[in-house]
Amino acid sequence: MKPHRRKRLGIILFIATALSFAVGLTLYALSQNIDLFYTPTQIAAGEVAVGQRIRVGGMVREGSYVAASDSLRVEFDATDFVNNVPIHYEGILPDLFREGQGVVVEGALDANGLFQASRVLAKHDENYMSPEVKAALEASGASPQNHSAMPEQ
Amino acid sequence: MWLWFSKLGSPKWFYELSGKWLPWLIAVMSLLLIIGIVWALLFVPPDYQQGNTIRIMYIHVPFASISLAFFPLMAVAGTITLVWRMKLADMVAKTAAPLGAWFTALALISGSIWGSDIWGTWWIWDGRLTSMLLQFFLLIGVISLRSALEDTEAASKACAVLSIVGCINVFVIKFSVDWWNTLHQPAGSFSLADDAPNPPEVWVPLVVMILAIYCFFAVSLILATRNEILVRERRAQWVEDLACNS
Amino acid sequence: MFENVQFSSLSDFFAMGGYAFNVWSVYLLFVVFFAINLAVPVIRKKQILREQKRRLVLAQESRVRRETGNDTVL
Repeated sequence: MKPHRRKRLGIILFIATALSFAVGLTLYALSQNIDLFYTPTQIAAGEVAVGQRIRVGGMVREGSYVAASDSLRVEFDATDFVNNVPIHYEGILPDLFREGQGVVVEGALDANGLFQASRVLAKHDENYMSPEVKAALEASGASPQNHSAMPEQ
Repeated sequence: MWLWFSKLGSPKWFYELSGKWLPWLIAVMSLLLIIGIVWALLFVPPDYQQGNTIRIMYIHVPFASISLAFFPLMAVAGTITLVWRMKLADMVAKTAAPLGAWFTALALISGSIWGSDIWGTWWIWDGRLTSMLLQFFLLIGVISLRSALEDTEAASKACAVLSIVGCINVFVIKFSVDWWNTLHQPAGSFSLADDAPNPPEVWVPLVVMILAIYCFFAVSLILATRNEILVRERRAQWVEDLACNS
Repeated sequence: MFENVQFSSLSDFFAMGGYAFNVWSVYLLFVVFFAINLAVPVIRKKQILREQKRRLVLAQESRVRRETGNDTVL
């Protein structure tokens, strides 16, 4: 085989391999569950084993947030308004962490059904507005709920 | 129509026409950019949740949105190259790839800086961020594929095919926030009312910035394509004349 | 118009409500990228035309030399 033909063949083989690799990877990804987190309902349904490292996504339930006075230890419930997951966490919370806002929590369930978190991330919704607009909305009783962290069912 | 099509394919014709348009395009871009940046930095009210970091959105969203245009653009140019062998289309495809890599990188970095305070993390392997990173690597792949092949015709054909396949990823990026649970928020729906989420005071400056960055993209692409024309058409009489008179 | 400016002082503006690093680094990054992305093609164009001109001048000179060389042989 002439050298330039061999080179061209090599290149075509390279492209073919790369393409099939990319397509294969995409199909694999699509068939797998590539959701970032489990919802409280999925955890209540027993989809997650004790000790398995996972992420939980939901809203911080209003009135559930309790912070220890002598340490960084906090407790709160993640909720999808159907089920709750009680969460224990020790560390610094992101700026956007608030009751009624979305969170994604990394960690594992312990034997008591408590979720021991190693990291807490805030999930922002797609609604941007000034504090004045927010106040006006609340006054009119039409407060927009953040449902973006909710399951779609 | 066909005359127009074949004329557009002539590098000389494009060079002359784009030379006439460039000053106007640059003027529009500068105007939009000045209005947009001053508006975004000074007049947009802080968000009720994330305060002044909302100003990052006016850079991040335009770059992220134009980044999605590169693969479709390269695929169209690639198809024209494959079917009609139009020289100009291949030049556009070649200059678009590195530009796209830069725009994608800027969208990723600005998003990362935004997320570091708001989410509490620089990076997370969720559907949106991962597919955007994949686009960056695909663009690097297109660039290296072209430079790896010495035969320019084979290189442009291979890149055209890769660009067409790469378009799949654009849909994945676009719909990732709807298909899967992600940390990244879905696209907002803008409201015309003053007292609703995403009121005009938030999105009008965003539209200005998006138009400004689209103009910036067009200017960058035209400038780079003109250089590519000068290099590839260096044996043409009109380029030699241009060089002698410079 | 100016009563709608969101900052009461210049130092307020630079502080960005505590997010100075994030906001300003993104805008700085944009300005740097913008400037480089427009400057590089302009410089490159000058470079291309300069090289082209040099190539043409060299070609011209060698043609002249060849022709004058032929003249001396004749």
